[in-house]
Parts: sequence; structure tokens; C-alpha cells
Amino acid sequence: MVKKAVVITIFCIGLFMHAQNKQLLYDFTEVPQALMINPGMETDFSWYAGIPLLSGISVQAGSSGITVNDIFANDGLDINDKVRDRLIYGMATRDEVSSTDQVEIFSGGFRGKDPSVFYSFGLYNEVDAIVYWFKDYAILGYEGNADRLNERFDLSDLVTRGEMLNVFHFGINKRMNKDLTLGARGKIYSSILDFNTVDNDGYFVTTEGENNVYASTLDADLELRTSGVNALERASDDDNVAATLIKRGLFGGNLGLGVDLGFTYYLNGQTVVTGSLLDLGFIYHANDVENYTLEGNATIEGVEVILPDALDDPDQDFWQDLVDEVEEFIPFENDTKAYVTFRPTKLYGSIRYNFGEPMQGSAVCDCDYQNANSASSAVKYRNSIGGQLYMINRPRGPQSALTAFYQRRFGNFMALKATYTVDKFTFTNLGLGATFQAGAFNFYLMADNLLAYRNIADSHYSSFQIGLNIISWGEK
Amino acid sequence: MKIKRIGTYVWLMFVFSILFSCVEEQDFNQYDDLSITPTYEASVLYLEVPESTINDLPAPDTYSREFEFEAFSETVFADRVLEGVLTYYVENTTSKPLELEIRFLDATGNVLATEVFELDPEPSAEVIRETYYGPYGEDIDIIRNISSISVTATNNGDNVSTSSQDNPMVTLKSSGAFTVSIK
Repeated sequence: MVKKAVVITIFCIGLFMHAQNKQLLYDFTEVPQALMINPGMETDFSWYAGIPLLSGISVQAGSSGITVNDIFANDGLDINDKVRDRLIYGMATRDEVSSTDQVEIFSGGFRGKDPSVFYSFGLYNEVDAIVYWFKDYAILGYEGNADRLNERFDLSDLVTRGEMLNVFHFGINKRMNKDLTLGARGKIYSSILDFNTVDNDGYFVTTEGENNVYASTLDADLELRTSGVNALERASDDDNVAATLIKRGLFGGNLGLGVDLGFTYYLNGQTVVTGSLLDLGFIYHANDVENYTLEGNATIEGVEVILPDALDDPDQDFWQDLVDEVEEFIPFENDTKAYVTFRPTKLYGSIRYNFGEPMQGSAVCDCDYQNANSASSAVKYRNSIGGQLYMINRPRGPQSALTAFYQRRFGNFMALKATYTVDKFTFTNLGLGATFQAGAFNFYLMADNLLAYRNIADSHYSSFQIGLNIISWGEK
Repeated sequence: MKIKRIGTYVWLMFVFSILFSCVEEQDFNQYDDLSITPTYEASVLYLEVPESTINDLPAPDTYSREFEFEAFSETVFADRVLEGVLTYYVENTTSKPLELEIRFLDATGNVLATEVFELDPEPSAEVIRETYYGPYGEDIDIIRNISSISVTATNNGDNVSTSSQDNPMVTLKSSGAFTVSIK
């Protein structure tokens, strides 16, 4: 159990994860990977192929309550004061440390015989986890329960989940008419590792005792569910981690199904609304499952020797009786029952206004830009401005972000997107994304919260996406 | 040419952002100065002997009991405890003078420390005693090595008198508050 806890802790702390808001990539129609966050995006590719392992790499780290600089800045303050004021008492239970990392293993897409239909497919690996600030546990661990009579330490403060999985996907994008494009993507999840403890309840409290000085009460309803942790632990012992990761990631672990949905709709020739709903799915964990529970209620007032009852059994072991009583009322148990987890579902929406000089599309032909074989497509403009909404379902409720953006296209060579985003991590998130086209090669690089680079140790949030593709827009 | 120049500027901006991003001076050696020393408190031992039971005790009018108590010798506590205090509240509402003796024993039965309470017959005040362990008190190793507790109650009076108070008895309450080093 201890080793397991260490594995999970390292997994959490080492990766510092959070489901990623890809506000720069969203609706960036020049980049094929934008299809992954809106399967109903406008597409004008004939086909594309991602460079394996390099086509889509995205990393994000976020901490809503505290930064490295808050604790370790060389500011002459006592670290004990900083930890107590800024970490232990400064953070709230809704503060989190979280992140999501994604690496595309392979990806591709092609236009079907019906030129209004574009297919895309691929496999990517995702690591996602979130740890909310377990405030009452921290106070109990940092200061103890002395002089805190009747103060309840809330056990529901422990909320964390994380997973590593591979996602196989296949998407269909269809231009329904000149105004509407719809898309859907089916997903098969192959879970490598999962842990979650999200529905905890209970408290620990010290009160005035009925007989003795104090009564210590533990009312616990705690559960930790895991799958794949044991397999990785065994693999670690056998020095076989890589093979185990690959095996579990290729349908050897736990499986699930999901779907992404999306659309693009032209309100008029220059105004576009888009939306997508991602990872509407679940994973059924039945393989290598181990769950732990601590459930019950017990109040103790130390060892009690009460005569004349204690005279009845001269061999009575008062201490062991006390231990047994606690274990009876609050049993620590484990089982291997299967369980279901739901994916962190994401919602994107945007409204975009295109303006400026109309331009020819990326297709190197004298044909319609949006769809080489369709006469009913929208004109593309050099400039776009608009707003985006992002929401994600998290254990403590939905999180959201609002983004304003400006996009500029420079011929077929380059496109830029600048964003300003407000979310729980920061109000000063400026981002910049760029995609470059050199012949068939497409390269994109996006990073946000650029102001934080003034002192990256003081950043609450940082993310980037990078990728390399080969894109064809059809014959000249 | 103009477009390529813009592209070059964008590239340079990214590169400069990464290469010339700043990090204010951090002192990770501060971690060595971090001290996490919470104090936990809880009840330890409760003893209750009614006067009727005292009157029924056979000669030599003594009740004695030894039992295991491994809360303090558990490694997770013993390796981390720095200092603490044991507080006793002893009250005698019986009609006779009593003596309570608490002995702390190690795993081999050696006596580590003894607390003796001489109690007057009622009416008498509650006796409160605090015994400190650690740098400014008794040796903290006494606490670390407690493996069992011996309790002895001796009746120094008669076996027939009865207190005028309701439910006369002798009670011992005790609590411990100990500071441990987590970091």
C-alpha cells in the first residue's frame, strides 16, 4: 500500500496535471490537429499525415493557488511563515494542481470520394490528473489537533484523480451546405493506469470526553479506486515498465468508449459560430483493479479501566481491546470490484468575425478554397476576431475559461493567432500561436501565458503545443 | 519577402521568449529550514473505582493491574516525538484516603517512571499534575519506551465507611499532548 501510495504521489506531483484548454489551437483551421478539439471544424485539406510522435505534443501545468516563487523566492522571509500563510492557510479547497499531457503517436486524414467528407484518424497518449488542495488534512498534519477542541477536520477535502491512457480515434467531418459543417469522432480508450478518490466524506474531531479528558472521533467514508497501479508496481519490480505500458496501452488494460461532436455554422458571410463537445465517454475498469475503503465511526477516550467490570477478566488486554474496537468500527478494507470512470468532458464554443481582404485559400489551385469540388463554400479572410468559451467537468464541478482572440493569415505561408484568456489560474494569460507552411510541411507552435515568462517561477499556468505534419491541398 | 520577414520575427519572438524568459532568484536550500512539528493531543488512560468496589477488595486492600500500552512505542510515533506533557486529573469522592500509583514499564518490565497520587478522603479537591518530557522536563525516552502501564490503587482507610456524596468513587483522567517532527 505504501509503495502504491508512493507511485501515485510521484505520478501526481511529478506531472502536475490539468485537462488542457487549447484555446490557441481551437478553430485554427490551418492546423490539422485542430480537428481533435472540434471534429466539425472547416477543413480544406486533401489529406494530411502527422509525423509520428511529433505531429502533436501538448503539455500544460497549472496551479491555481500557489507558485514555486511564493515559497522559494529568495526574499529573506522565513520559509516556515511562507508555508503556513501561503500554502497551509493561503490555499482553498478549490485550488488545484493539475495538468494534461498529450502526445500523438500517429495521425492522418484524407478526403473521401464525396469531397464534402473528410476522414481523420490516429492514436494519442494522454496523461491527465488533478489534485485539489486537501486543506484540513494539511492543517492536521502541519499543526496537529492540539488546542483545536471541537474543530472538525473535513475528510472530504481529499479529492484527486488521474489517469494514463491511449486513445484510438476515427472522425468524420462533413460539410452539409455552405453554412454548416458537422463532425463526429469515435474513440476507444485503452486505460493504462487510473486512480481516483473523489467522493470522500467524514471528519476527525477532538471533543471534551465523557469519562476522560478528550474524546477523539473519526467518522470516515473514504475510498480510493485504482486500476493498473499493481501492474506497474510489479513491472517496476521486474524492470519491465516499458513493455507493461505498451501492453496496457494496446488494449491490454481497461477499455472504454467515447465520442466527440462538433459543428461550424456561418451566421452570415463573415460571422461564424462553432462548438464542440469532447470526450463524452467512459472507461470500464475490471482489469488489475484494487480499491481501498475506510468506512465507519469510532470515538475513543484512551484506555479505560473501569471497576468492577475490569475484575471479571484478569487477563483482559485493554490496549488490544481498544485497537480491535477501532478496527471493528472503522474497518480498512480492499477489494477488486470493477468500476466505471467518466472522462473529463470538455465543451468549446466560439464566435468569430472575419474581416479584411478576402484571400485565396491554401489550396494551390484556382479552385474554391474551402472545398475543391464544392461551389458552395465561404470566402476566407485575412483577419478574424472573436471570443471562445471553454468548460471542463472536474471533480469539484465545472471549470471554465473565456478567451478573446485575433487571427491573421499571411498568404499560404503563415497564420498567427493571439489570445487573451481568463480562467481560475490567471487573469493575465496572453498566448500566441503560429503555423508555418513550407511546401507540404506544416509546423505549428503555440504557447500561452507569455507574460509569466518574466518570472516563470511565479507562473500559475503554462502550456504549449507543437507539431509537424505533411499536408496536401490537392493537385495544382 | 515581407511575409518571410514577419515569419522570421515571429520565430525570433518565440525563441527569445524561451531563451530569455526570466526566473527570479530561487533558494531551494530553504527547504532545509522548513520545520513541520505538529502537536497532537488525546486521552491516554481512564481509571474508575467505585467506593463499593474498594470496600469489597480483599486484603491487602489493593487493586493492581498491568496492561500493554503500545501507543507511544509505535515506530511512527517513537521515532518522531520531540517533547510533550502528560496531564493527570485525579479526584477522590470516597470516604477514605487512597493512594494511586502509575508505573510506566518498558518491554522487559523495567520501571521507567512512576507517578504517585496521595488522595485525601472527601471532601477533597481534584489533583491536577502535569509532567513534562523533553528538553525541559523528564527524559523523552521514557515516553518512547513505554510498553505497558501498571496501575495500583491502595485503600489506606477502612472497608466499611461510605461517602455522603452521590456515586462516590476515585477517578483518574489523563491526556497527552506531544509534539512530533514530520520534517
